[in-house]
This record gives sequence, C-alpha cells and structure tokens, in this order.
Amino acid sequence: MAAAIKNPGWWRGLFGAVAFGAFGFGLVIALRAISDLPLYQTEQTGYPHVIVPAITAPLGFLWGFGCFDYWLRWAAGLPTIPDDHSQHGAKSWKDYFKFNTDHKVIGVQYVVTTFIFFFLGGLMAMLIRAELAQPGTQIVEAATYNSLFSTHAVLMIFVFVIPVFAGLANYVLPLMIGAPDMAFPRLNALSFWMLPLAGILFIGSFLAPGGAFDAGWTGYAPLSTGAPLGQSFFNLGVQFAGASSIATALNFLVTIITMRAPGMTFWRMPLLVWANLSTSLLVVAATPFIAGVQFMVLFDRALHTNFFDFGAGGDVISYQHIFWFYSHPAVYIMMLPGFGIVSEVISTHARKPIFGYRLMALALIGIVVLSYSVWAHHMFVAGMFSWLRVPMMITTLLIAVPTGIKIFSWLGTLYFGKIHTYSTAMLFALAFIVTFTIGGISGVMLGMVPIDIHVSDTYFIVAHIHFVLFGGSVFTIFAGVYHWFPKMTGRMYDEKLGRVHFWGTLVGTWGTFIPMHWVGMDGMPRRVADYAEQFGNWNLMISAFAFLLGAVQLVFVYNMVVSWRFGPKAGANPWRANSIEWQVSSPPPIFNSTEIPRVVGGPYEFGIPGAKHAIMAGEGTEGAEVPAGEKSVVGTSP
Amino acid sequence: MESATVAVSHADHHHGPPEANQSSRIDRQTLGILLFIVSEVMLFGAFFASYFFLRVVVDPPSWPPHPYELPVAVAGMNTAILVSSSFTIHYALESIRRGNRNGLKLGLVATWLLGATFLFIQINEYVHLGFSARDLSFGSIFYSLTGLHGAHVFVGLMLLSFATIRAFRGHFGPEEKDHLGVEVPGIYWHFVDIMWLVVFVTVYVL
Repeated sequence: MAAAIKNPGWWRGLFGAVAFGAFGFGLVIALRAISDLPLYQTEQTGYPHVIVPAITAPLGFLWGFGCFDYWLRWAAGLPTIPDDHSQHGAKSWKDYFKFNTDHKVIGVQYVVTTFIFFFLGGLMAMLIRAELAQPGTQIVEAATYNSLFSTHAVLMIFVFVIPVFAGLANYVLPLMIGAPDMAFPRLNALSFWMLPLAGILFIGSFLAPGGAFDAGWTGYAPLSTGAPLGQSFFNLGVQFAGASSIATALNFLVTIITMRAPGMTFWRMPLLVWANLSTSLLVVAATPFIAGVQFMVLFDRALHTNFFDFGAGGDVISYQHIFWFYSHPAVYIMMLPGFGIVSEVISTHARKPIFGYRLMALALIGIVVLSYSVWAHHMFVAGMFSWLRVPMMITTLLIAVPTGIKIFSWLGTLYFGKIHTYSTAMLFALAFIVTFTIGGISGVMLGMVPIDIHVSDTYFIVAHIHFVLFGGSVFTIFAGVYHWFPKMTGRMYDEKLGRVHFWGTLVGTWGTFIPMHWVGMDGMPRRVADYAEQFGNWNLMISAFAFLLGAVQLVFVYNMVVSWRFGPKAGANPWRANSIEWQVSSPPPIFNSTEIPRVVGGPYEFGIPGAKHAIMAGEGTEGAEVPAGEKSVVGTSP
Repeated sequence: MESATVAVSHADHHHGPPEANQSSRIDRQTLGILLFIVSEVMLFGAFFASYFFLRVVVDPPSWPPHPYELPVAVAGMNTAILVSSSFTIHYALESIRRGNRNGLKLGLVATWLLGATFLFIQINEYVHLGFSARDLSFGSIFYSLTGLHGAHVFVGLMLLSFATIRAFRGHFGPEEKDHLGVEVPGIYWHFVDIMWLVVFVTVYVL
C-alpha cells in the first residue's frame, strides 16, 4: 500500500484527490472560522466548501496520477530521470489506463473516453425525446428536463465533438507529418487526463443540491448567476475542458510547425494537417474567452461580484458578447477537423487528387479569420446595439464563401473519380456533404436578420445545429473512426454492420431533424418540456426516428468492440492511400518508424504514374528525384 | 525554412525514437511559450472586453464611481519596479550567453526580488483601497484585471524560482539549447511586464 501511494498511478491519484480535496475543504472552513462567518454557506449560489474542493481534488488526482512528476523534479532542480521510454507505448491493454506519453496511446484514450461521453449524452437525448414524444409531462419534470438538455449539449460539445477530433488527430497527425511523437508528449498526456475530469464535473452536477446545471450550454447570465450549485460545476468543468483543449492545440501547432519530415513543405501537408492547424489557431486564440467569461460567472456566483448585476453597474449583454466571441469560433473548432477527415477519405476513395488543394487550405484559413467577425449573429434578438446587426449579417453570409469552396472542391474531386463505396468511411463522407450542405443553407437563412428574428429560440435552431453538428461533425467523426480503425487496431471492422450503422444513422438523422425545421417554422419553442397539442404528431415521428438513431449506434459499438478483438487482420494500407500513416505497419511501430521518412511529393497524387508522397525507412532512394526547392543532402552525407 | 539535415538512423544501438526533423528555425519551447502567451493575451482580452462594457457601454456618471479613488502614484511607482525587472532578467540571459554564471544568478535574484516587491506593494494597495470586489461593477473589474495580472506575476515568480534554483545548482550554459530554461521563463516575464503596462494605463490612467 505504501508503495502504491509512492508510485504514480490510480492509487496515488485517488489519494491525491482525497488529500487535495480535504485541503481545499479545510482551507475554506478555516478561513471562514477566523473571519467569524458561519462555517457552511449554503445559499444556492454559494457553497464555497464544495466549489474549492471541486477545483483542488481534480488537481490532486492529476498530481497523484503522475502528470506533474517530471516537471516537479525539474522545478525543484533535482536531476530528472533520463527518459527510458517506459511511459511510451502500450504493450498490453493495461497501459491504456496509465499516464502514457505516446501520441498513439493518447489518441486511443481520447477516442474511447469521448465516445463514452457521447453515449451518456446520447442517453440524455433519448430521455429528452421520450419526454417530447407526447405533449404534456410524462417522463421527467420540467426542471429535470432543463438539466437534461443542458448536460446533453455540454457533454456533446465539450467532452465529445471537440476532443474526439483532438484524439483522432493525435493518433494520425504525427504519423502524417513524419514526426516520432507530438512536440510536448507529457503536456499531451496531461491534456488528455484533464478531459475525463471535466466530464465527471459535468455529470457530477446531477448530485448537487438543486440538480444539474439547467441554463443551457450557453449558460446565459443572469439565469446562470442565480442558478443552483450545479451551475458552478459547469463553470469549473469548462475550465478543465478548455485548458485541455488549449494545451492540445498549442501542442498541435508546435508539432506541425517544427516537426515536419524533410521535404514536407506546407503545401505538401495532407489537408487533415491543414485542418488541425487552422482549428488549433482558433482554439489557442478563442478558448481563453470562454474561460474568462465562466470565471466571471463563477465570481458573480461565489464571490458576489457584479459583472452581470444590472443594479450594481453590471452589464448583462456583455456575457453574450464575450461568450459568443469564443463560441462562434467554437463551431468551426467543431467542424474544421471534420473537413480535414472528409478530404482524406474522399480523395482516397475517389482515387483522385483533391480538386483545388491550395484553395482548400486557404479556405480553411479564410474561415478562421472570418469566424472571429460573426459572433453577434447569435444575439440579433438579445437587445444589443442595433447597428451591429447588419455588419454581422454580412460577415455571416460571407463565411458561406470559403465553406462553399470546400463543398465544390469535394464535388470536383468526386467528379469523374473512380468512386469506391466499399468503405463505410466513404459512405459517411458522401452523406456528410449532402447533410452538411442542408445544415449550411439553413445557417445562411439564420444569418439573415428577419428570418432569424422569426425563428429565434424555436426548433428551427435545434434542427440547424443538429444538421451541422450531427449530420456534419458526427458524420465526419464516424468517417474518421472507420477510416483509421484498421490503422489503430490492425484489424478490419465488419463492413456489413458498418453499412447497417450508416443507413440507420442517415435515415435516423434525416427523420429526426428535418421535421424539426417545420415545427420550428410553425413556432414550437426550444428548451421547453411541454408544447402545444398541434405539434404532437410531428414530435411522435421525430421521437421514433430519434430512437432508431439511438439504437443503431449500438451496432456501431458492437462492431468496434468485436472487430477490435476478433476482426480479420488488416494490412498496412487497406485503402491504398498515399499519406505517410498508411506506409507504416498497422498498428504502427512504437516510435512510428525507425527513421524519419522523406517527403518527395503531394499527398493526393492518385492516378499519376510514378508519383510518390514519401520515401520510408529502408526504401531505396533510387528513382526518387530530389524535390525542387529543397537542397537536400540525403545520400551525400557520409 | 526546410531544414536540410536528415536524422541519422538510430536503429542500431538505441531503442528510443528517431530524432525528429527540425522543420523550422524556431525551437519548440520558444514557439510553445509564444503561443501560450497568445492564449494568455486573449484571456486578458476577455476581461478587457468586460471592462469596456462596464465602463463605456454602461457608461456610469463617474469612473471610478464617486467615493472611490485609485492610488495612481503608488501604482506608477510599482510599474517602474516591474518594468525595471524586465531589464534585470535580460541581464541574466545576456550573462549566461557570455558564460558569466554570477551575472546569471545576480540577474535572476534581482528579478525575483523586484517581482516579489511588486506583488507585495499590490497586496498592500488592496488592503488600503477601501472598496472590495463586491462594490459595484467597478470593484469587480478592478480586482479581476489587477488580480488576474497579479496571478500571472505569481506564476512568473514560480517559473523564475525554478530557474534560480537550477542556476544555483550549476545548471545552464552559454550554448543556445543549454539556457532555454532561463530564456523561456524570461519571455513569459517580459509578457507579464508588458501586460501590466496595458492594465496600468487602462485601469489607472485612462
């Protein structure tokens, strides 16, 4: 037991969580005691003796788990233990439950963890649809309903869609650019381990007195500043998820900029790398805004400051401005990596180079720049400055241009391609183009002030967000998981079950979310547990399709779990793709390759005789021309 | 920009990873801290945005609100203390670049003391201000902006402590890669100083 506490791991993590949590609790009680205050403050926004331990206990877990060990030794001036790579790579399944610095292990940890949260959030969606199947109150109370849709959204956004992309990219991105690992492997591991803590804080808020946070995922003030204790768990969970996300983005940027293989110029990077470069730029610069604004809400709640208290000189609308200054870029954080995945999948399975490769990359950068200038289109009815409406409408419509470029480039890639649909990944990518275009067009509609005023806070908004986030992001996530499943596990998934999953998901998505446009147009309000009788039939149908959509995800789980264990062995390159991650074994060797590959061409040169993207270790250099513009010394140095 | 070197194969007597290709002139640590600073600037940006709304958009009749006053002179002196610490950290870095270990130690200790003095004076100011973070939105944003900055000074002091401990234990050398442990906290410290100038001008002077 003493050894278990001494060595980093789950036991010391548990000990750290309890010890740090107790310290936080004791600190609050002691300070209140010497200030002659009642020891426990249990007004609904108070509870400092819960909030402070909710900050210190996760930090204690991270310390105990070993996330800081190397840095603490460094900080204390002790000789750091020479890296023996014992924390790198997974030799057995147990290594996935340890602090591990291998980007491939972390990638798998990310994807599996985030899918667990996806299913928890999905269960909440099922409860929401069960309640909405009939008018009136049947399954859950109105207050519980509010908590359910809030936690559903928060789990899906902060601990599923955003981090699952980070997980997929964590796995493939270093391989794609020919790097042995990420730039900061320990920071990478720390980023991952903060994520389940954020998820636990979100879900743990159900245990708080007053129930889970119920102010929606947007947590608008002053609803959130007066809400019960659960809201503080939301404020804190966002800090952990946000810190995780910023650290990962920083890691991606440094990796992409400083660790590309020789010959891998920016214009030879696969579009997934470009997509993560642009996403990371968004995360690094925008995510601090939500951290800031959630701190303000937490201060208003726990310390009784007056940021959003109108009576004391506060400004209520400022919450929305600062929140959306993050959260509009955030919708691109949730979409751009998916664009990258779809580009990879479509080019590979259409056997054609990406149409307009450079424009595709520039369109990503264009979206990054424009996305900072559209935040107030979420606030057309909020009572903000009315002069801001039209400029925001124009920038919002402008952002359809780079997005349209991407859509047309995918179509151009497919045009006259040899389209193979034997992979479920390709099916999801094709369905993504259609579904996302519909969601994008309803987005353009919502960008127009008059339409937006008409459908604000109706199911039209719900339909739009789910078309772009489920039909968009989640479809690309499925495409990515199916596409790289053979690479990650070394085995093939069952294509028949993949098809069942695909068609079920497609029909379920359209059946669920298309009628929502209509009931929304007719004025059914969102975020309300009950609704008028006239929407009853539509909602029954929506719920039926939603249950289909939920049920068919079980096929996906079954397929993934069983194929991981028993699936037929996959070769190194089952899709005959060009990028570097397919040129190494499946799963890749522990350090990705014995030698850094050398890049000699673009990543998508399908159908071009003799074209080559990279020369791997052990391959001869004969036949490969030294690429133009690169004064390489390969082969000449002794 | 592309490095022309190719990693030599390590396959023979070493089980570690192959050395990554260095595809940019900037090293990882420096780029990392610069990106982190971008992110920090945006965190301050959130609070400056709030300041803008509370002061300009809400537009109260007086700012600071009537009975409250800010000790501009004391804060100005404190500003001078913090700014001078940027020069001492620069001196420390230049010293180790020339191999002057004593200069490194002197510079680091001086920077640490100046930073700690700044923090001490600021806490002392808090005690004597006569209003708290609960007094109007002015109090909230004043304490958040200066407090957020104070937290950054504290983090900077921690980083400097690590560097100082290692300097006294004989670490660091004149080679570029051997004094990143001074240079990277130094970049952060410069950021903390410049950020204070912005906070000082916005909160106290304007």
